[in-house]
Amino acid sequence: MRKFSLTLTYLVFLSISAILLGLIFYTPLPALAASLASPEIRFAILLSLITSVVSTIICVAIAIPVAYSLARYQFFGKRIATLALTIPLTLPPLVAGIALLLFFGTTPMGKALENAGFAVIFTPLGIIVAEVFVNIPYMIRILRSAFSTINPRYEYVAKTLGCTDMGAFFQVTLPMARHGLLAGAVITWSKAMGEFGAVLMLAGATTMRTETLPIALYLNISTGDLNLAVAAATILILISLITLCVVEYFDRGVHVF
Amino acid sequence: MLRIESLSITLGEFSIRDVSLEIRLGEYFIILGPTGAGKTVLLETIAGIHTPNSGRIFLGNKDITLTEPRSRNIGMVYQDYMLFPHLTIEENIAFGLHQKKIPLNEQHTIVKDMCTLLEISHLTGRYPGTLSGGEQQRAALARALVLKPEILLLDEPMSALDSRTRERMRRELSRIRRLTGTTIIQITHHFDDVFALADRIAIMREGRIVQEGETSEVFLHPVDTFVAEFLGIGNIIRGNSSIAGNITQITPVTGPSFFAASGIVGKVVATLHAEDVILSGKPFASSARNCLSGTVSEVIPSGSTVRVILDVGFLLTALLTRESCRDLHLEPGSRVYATFKASAVHVISFSSH
Repeated sequence: MRKFSLTLTYLVFLSISAILLGLIFYTPLPALAASLASPEIRFAILLSLITSVVSTIICVAIAIPVAYSLARYQFFGKRIATLALTIPLTLPPLVAGIALLLFFGTTPMGKALENAGFAVIFTPLGIIVAEVFVNIPYMIRILRSAFSTINPRYEYVAKTLGCTDMGAFFQVTLPMARHGLLAGAVITWSKAMGEFGAVLMLAGATTMRTETLPIALYLNISTGDLNLAVAAATILILISLITLCVVEYFDRGVHVF
Repeated sequence: MLRIESLSITLGEFSIRDVSLEIRLGEYFIILGPTGAGKTVLLETIAGIHTPNSGRIFLGNKDITLTEPRSRNIGMVYQDYMLFPHLTIEENIAFGLHQKKIPLNEQHTIVKDMCTLLEISHLTGRYPGTLSGGEQQRAALARALVLKPEILLLDEPMSALDSRTRERMRRELSRIRRLTGTTIIQITHHFDDVFALADRIAIMREGRIVQEGETSEVFLHPVDTFVAEFLGIGNIIRGNSSIAGNITQITPVTGPSFFAASGIVGKVVATLHAEDVILSGKPFASSARNCLSGTVSEVIPSGSTVRVILDVGFLLTALLTRESCRDLHLEPGSRVYATFKASAVHVISFSSH
């Protein structure tokens, strides 16, 4: 049994490594460098970075109070709220994208938002909205887990020492949850960098307008420009590796997955 | 002075029901009770963490029932100390001073003095996770004491310590109280804490105070069998009480009758501390009114003492030193005489149950 399972483990590890390394080394290094320097890939990198960072900040800002409520308070409908917040986790991103498209494109509220200047369909703003919608459940789950492990008595003591409720949270609970916060933010950012389905549905795939790295990969594969597609893929692999390292380093007792 | 009037609060499975207490300035007050009695909830409500459903709390003449914890000037130390793990010991101790916006140099002086008082000056740069239980406890005390609280609440502060460190902490707490004059309310499970520190105690059961008073008074005169059993009073004997001349005679359900200095008649529970029972091989000549003969049924050594259980018609427990036990050659089956004073027997009317 030991021999069989170890052999299989090595086989799976080697297969994954070989497949990913094969992709990275498919294009000769000078050609890869040229592709990375191309205006299209540079645009995709910049757009991906801006949208993913903004969507991560929004996710963190919303997830902190929501996760804290779920970890600390008992309230009416808590179980249903917890389940509803988990739905986007199991939903295929394409379906999430269609739901967003219909909401912003057909409902009176969507129309009202568009009239108020919040146009998200086939716009870069739509990329951020799609990323927030798909990724916020991850952030909430990770932070809820982090807050749950912190004894509320730390806050009680902080209050007897002169803190307000908010002061106790920001000076004691949040710093104590920093590992979970960082792990969650990195995962959210990494998922935002690689988000494809929901972005494609809501923001579309317009070259040099809503072209994030995954969209660039998709568009260049469609047009047969393999070098540019591989360049986009290589960056996405690098981001995954960095994320993995950061999460492994900071994931102490926080149940990320 | 802290005055609690008819305080009631329900928090999940814990509740406090109609608790009234008065704790005097500078007093060391200890709350005892089984797990789940609501002791911690009571302490947290005094600290202002929970808002009571009804009742009032006064600190001096000021009603603080709805005052925020930060404005009460009441310090709290938990069993697990709750030192903030992301801050050094110095930062932990200065935390409250920082909230009160005390100038930095003043903060530094206050922290330094408190660390000297508690002998933790060498630990200020370290993080709580690297400290022993006793060191963490002193740091947690220092953090609460730098704010000069009017009342210090201690929730089983010595439970996580070994017996030697606990003994040392008792001396420390006694010294702190002497030096600072702080009123202290402590929860404990250890009777050693009670005898070493408490001026007065209260016994809690199912969210209510069942008895409060001077430590010796509560131990000598428990109000009911729950308190007697909880305080570990060795002998709790049910029976009938009647007046025999100028003294009360107790007739147990089984076994011989004995005398008690009490005026209570009818169905009663008599309590007698195991250490008040003297054993001897022959009838013991003394002024004590009670001398019962019996057979040793069990000898249970415990530390430096030995608990001897006798069958005198009912079961009677005596507490002896190891030397006395050895001198009397006590073993199961030995015949002995048990002598105790009528004044050592406390009588509780059965109606108080």
